[in-house]
Amino acid sequence: MTPDISRHLADEALNDVLIGLGSLESGAHLARCPECRSKVEDFRADMTLFNSASIAWSQSRNGRPVETSPHPVAHRIRFAFVSWSAAVAVLLIMAVTLWRHSAVAPPNHVNTLEPQPSDSETQIAQDNELLQQINAAIGSDDDFPIQEYNFRERPHSRLKPQSQ
Amino acid sequence: MATATLSNLPIASVHRRRIESAMAERREVISELDDIDELVRVHGARIRRFVTCSTGDPDLAETITQDTMLRAFKGRESFRGECSLSTWLTGIAINVTRDHLRSGRYKFWKQLKATAVDVHEMASLLPSTSVSPERRILAQERVRELYRVLETLSFNQRTIFLMKFSEEMSVDEISEILGMAVNTVRTHLHRALKAVRSKLGAKR
Repeated sequence: MTPDISRHLADEALNDVLIGLGSLESGAHLARCPECRSKVEDFRADMTLFNSASIAWSQSRNGRPVETSPHPVAHRIRFAFVSWSAAVAVLLIMAVTLWRHSAVAPPNHVNTLEPQPSDSETQIAQDNELLQQINAAIGSDDDFPIQEYNFRERPHSRLKPQSQ
Repeated sequence: MATATLSNLPIASVHRRRIESAMAERREVISELDDIDELVRVHGARIRRFVTCSTGDPDLAETITQDTMLRAFKGRESFRGECSLSTWLTGIAINVTRDHLRSGRYKFWKQLKATAVDVHEMASLLPSTSVSPERRILAQERVRELYRVLETLSFNQRTIFLMKFSEEMSVDEISEILGMAVNTVRTHLHRALKAVRSKLGAKR
């Protein structure tokens, strides 16, 4: 009795064949059924193409040489020590800078107008002279500019010019 | 007291020859493992290919390949010859990959710098055979399609699929390396095959 080849292999049976766990019946069917056989061959052909291309791609990527450090643990410890030392040094520098800054600045020095150390005596003298000149100009006997127009203030009225 | 050697043991000569052949093979493998440059030359590309297709990240694959070779070199005494050297190396590569994928460091760098395989470049490297340009273009398209389908699979499905169809391992070997039941491996393979064959078959 010949097996019925009009009934093709189910997907699961076909996958079992591809995995390498196909039954004897599946093998017998494949030997007689070109359609099922072509499905298996198509998949294998695709995998062959993929494997050829992917291995060629991998070979084209020239990998870095593998470094076999004799004491990797010692190397890591040394690296960690250097890193932590650098971090502590940076923190120390920052701390000293901040401490020096706070030592120079007076306590509660918020917007005080005290002379800065950079102000020289000469500069202070110049500033004082300038202030005196300004005071003299303000305190002169010159008429106030508005008086030139002879305005007189009246109750409940606007300023109007006096009649000549 | 005389020490027993293979030559004076009362065993059949055929059996003795088989044992001696296995021992010679093992000595050869151990000497291969003693030279890390040779190890990289013979197995590096295959491991890189496997890890790249499994993780989809060529930069990570390079790191994992390096780690795998280094770990194999350092642990060469533990290779007992119960499986082939390539199977043993693939097992190490899988463990290294798992370590990397679990680490937070990998997740951080993955978010920061995501690299992907240039599948067009991969397909273009298909070895030139005496086929027409049209057939070559079709073949390159098949490679690209297969890679894209593999990307849609889960990590486990993709890894097991590659172990089976690229590394040509048996289901038992895959089961042992991954510490998975044979039926679980089979289920993953069935699901991966279903996806690959349906998507590739639809475009044929």
